[in-house]
Amino acid sequence: MTNNKLQVKKLYSLTSEKKKYSFSLPLKHSIRIGKREYEVKLKSDEKFGTYILWKNRKYPVEIVRSRQNKYEILFNDISYTFTVETPFSLQRMKVLNSKMGKAEKEDIKAPMPGKIIDVLVREGSSVLRGEPVVILEAMKMQNEILSPVNGVVTKVVARVNTNVMKDDLLVEIKL
Amino acid sequence: MEISGKRYKAFIDRQAAIKHQYSPKQAGKQHSKGKLTAQERISLLFDNDTFEEIDAFVTPADQPVEFGKVERSFGDGVIVGHGKVNGRLVFSYAQDFTIMGGSLGIVHAKKIAKIQEMAMKMGAPIIALIDSGGARIQEGVASLSGYASIFQNIINSSGIIPQISVIMGPAAGGAVYSPALTDFVFMVNHTSYMFVTGPNVVKEVLNEDVTFEALGGAEIHARKSGVAHMIYDDEENTILALKKFLSYLPSNNVENPPVVADDGSVPDINEKLINIVPDDPNKAYDVKDVINQIADRNSFLEISELFGASLVTGFARLKGKTIGIIANQPKVLAGVLDIDSSTKGARFIRFCDAFNIPLLTLEDVPGFLPGIDQEHAGIIRHGAKLLFAYSEATVPKITVILRKAYGGAYIVMNSKSLGGDFVFAWPTAEIAVMGPDGAVAILYRKELAESKDPAELKKELVKKYRDKIANPFIADESGYIDEVIDPATTRKKIVSAFEALNNKWIKVPSRKHGNMPL
Repeated sequence: MTNNKLQVKKLYSLTSEKKKYSFSLPLKHSIRIGKREYEVKLKSDEKFGTYILWKNRKYPVEIVRSRQNKYEILFNDISYTFTVETPFSLQRMKVLNSKMGKAEKEDIKAPMPGKIIDVLVREGSSVLRGEPVVILEAMKMQNEILSPVNGVVTKVVARVNTNVMKDDLLVEIKL
Repeated sequence: MEISGKRYKAFIDRQAAIKHQYSPKQAGKQHSKGKLTAQERISLLFDNDTFEEIDAFVTPADQPVEFGKVERSFGDGVIVGHGKVNGRLVFSYAQDFTIMGGSLGIVHAKKIAKIQEMAMKMGAPIIALIDSGGARIQEGVASLSGYASIFQNIINSSGIIPQISVIMGPAAGGAVYSPALTDFVFMVNHTSYMFVTGPNVVKEVLNEDVTFEALGGAEIHARKSGVAHMIYDDEENTILALKKFLSYLPSNNVENPPVVADDGSVPDINEKLINIVPDDPNKAYDVKDVINQIADRNSFLEISELFGASLVTGFARLKGKTIGIIANQPKVLAGVLDIDSSTKGARFIRFCDAFNIPLLTLEDVPGFLPGIDQEHAGIIRHGAKLLFAYSEATVPKITVILRKAYGGAYIVMNSKSLGGDFVFAWPTAEIAVMGPDGAVAILYRKELAESKDPAELKKELVKKYRDKIANPFIADESGYIDEVIDPATTRKKIVSAFEALNNKWIKVPSRKHGNMPL
C-alpha cells in the first residue's frame, strides 16, 4: 500500500487531575524543579518492590490498576490517577473539550436501587476523589459510594433510612 | 524492450495516481473531527512494513441508473489486506470515510468478502475497522446484497477465527449487524456511533428528540446495551488496546492461545489473598483485587467492564497461559446474577470454549436478582443462557468459591455437578440453598411468630444455620466440592489443577447444534 504513515512526534504528555506534564521518549531520568535538574531512578528489587530513587531515598511506587493509557498508582501510599496522551490524542481531547464545554458540577447518582444507611458529607464540605460520600445497602450488602472528583458538596439529597431507585440523585458536587 | 518500458511507465503512473488520491486535505478533514484516516489506522495496527494491500486499484461498479454522484476513485472506499500484528498473521479491512463517506457499494463489499474468505482459509483473525455512512444509495439492491454476503461470511467463520470489529465512525442501519455478529466490538468515545435507526428517523416516527451520542454513542453501548465490549478515549489507544487484546487469543479454533513468559512476580503462595474477603458477609469488596493477586502481574484485561457489572469477565494469564475469568463482583449489587450479567457471562464463556481458553470462576453470589422487572423481562430464560453455556463448555473449568454460593446461582456458577472439573472453596465459603435470614424465616416461621423475643431467637437460629449448614465443610465431606483450601495457596492450587486438565478431552455426540435458550 502507499505508505502515508502517521507522524508520531516524540513529545508525550501525562495528564493528572488538572496538572499536565510533558516528556519525550526515550525517557530521561531527571526532573526539573525550578532551575535545577535532579536525577531520579526507577528501580525494583525483591525486598522493596518497585520504588523511585531520589536523593538516595526510596519512594515505593505500585501500579494498582491500568487500563490502556489510564493508570492508577500508589506512590508513598497516596493514590494518583493519570492518563498518558500522545500528541494526536491530546489535540483530539482539546478539540472535543472545546466542542462540548467543560463540566462544572458532578452529580453522584445511586448506581443501584437500595437503602441509604449513612450520609458521610454535609453541604459545604470538601471531598477528595475516592472518598466515600454515602453508604448504600443493596441486596443486604453495604456499598460505599465514592466521589469520582475533587470538589465541594453543594447539595445533599440523600437521607438516611430512605430507599432510592437506580440513578436517583444523591449528592451534587461543584468542581 | 520498448513495450515493456512503456508498460513499466504506465505502472509507475498508476502508482502515482493512487498516491495522489490520498490528499493531506482529506486527512486534515478526518483529523479535525478527532479521527484518523484509514491508512493511519492500518499503519498503527500492523507491525512496521508488514501490511500488504490487495485490490487497491478496483473502481466502483457502474450505476444501474443515473442518480447522484459516484466518485471514480481507486479502491472503492475500503483498504483490505493482511500483515503481522505482534509478529502474528492478521487480516483486516478498513473503511475510508474520505471516499464517498466510506459507503458500501458492491465492489467495496466484494473486497471485504474476499479478505474474509482468505482469513478463514488461513485460520487467522480478522479485524474490521469500521467508518462508513452505510449502504451506497446509488447502487441500490446490489449494495444490500453486498451486506448479506459479508454477514454470511462472518457467520461461516464464527467460532473458527476470532473476528473483531472496531467502530471508528458511524455504523448505521443494516451495517450494525456486521459488528453485532462478530466476537468483540471496540468503540471510540465521542466519535463512533451505532444505531439501527438514527436520530432523524426517531424524530420523524416517534417524535422524540435524541442526540447521536445519547442514542448510540460508545458510552451507551458499553454501559446500557452491552453492544460494545471495549471503549477507549481515542483511536490510537483503541488500536493499541486491540493489539494487546489479540495477544491473548489463538489465531483459530484448532490452535492453543499463545504463551508468554511469566515474570514470576506474583508468588504461588500469596498471603495477601487472606485479607481481601471481609468476615462480615454484608461487607462488600472488589473481586478484581482477588483476581490481581491470583493472575500474573498486570495481566488481567477486563471485557465489558461497564455492562452487567455485577459479574466481572476478562482474560488473564496464569504462568503465561491465557485463561478466561468469570467472577461475581460483590461491590456491585452484591454480585447478583441479573439479566445483563447472565447474558454477558454466557457469551464470554462460549467465546472461551470455542477458542480453547480454560475458564476460572471466582464465586461469591447471593443468588439471582429478585424483582418484577427482572422476572417480567425474562431472567428465567436469560439466566438459562449462563447455565447452558457453562455446562456445554468442554474446556478445563475450575471454580473457587470465595464466600456466598447460594441456591440456583450456586448451581449455575460452574458447580461440580454441572461439570466443573475442580471446585475449591475458601474457609469463608457459605454453600447452601439460601442465605441464613431467608432459611430461618421459612423453617421457623411458626416458632418465630410465637416467640416472645423473635429478634433474639432469629439471631440464635441464624448463627446455628451458619455454623451447621452454610459452610464449606459439609460440601467437602460429602464430595460436592474437591477441597477446602487456604486462600494463600489459591494460585498454586489453580496452576496445578489447570496443568492436570491440560489434555482434557470430551467427546461431544454428533448433532447439528444444541438449542440454546436465546
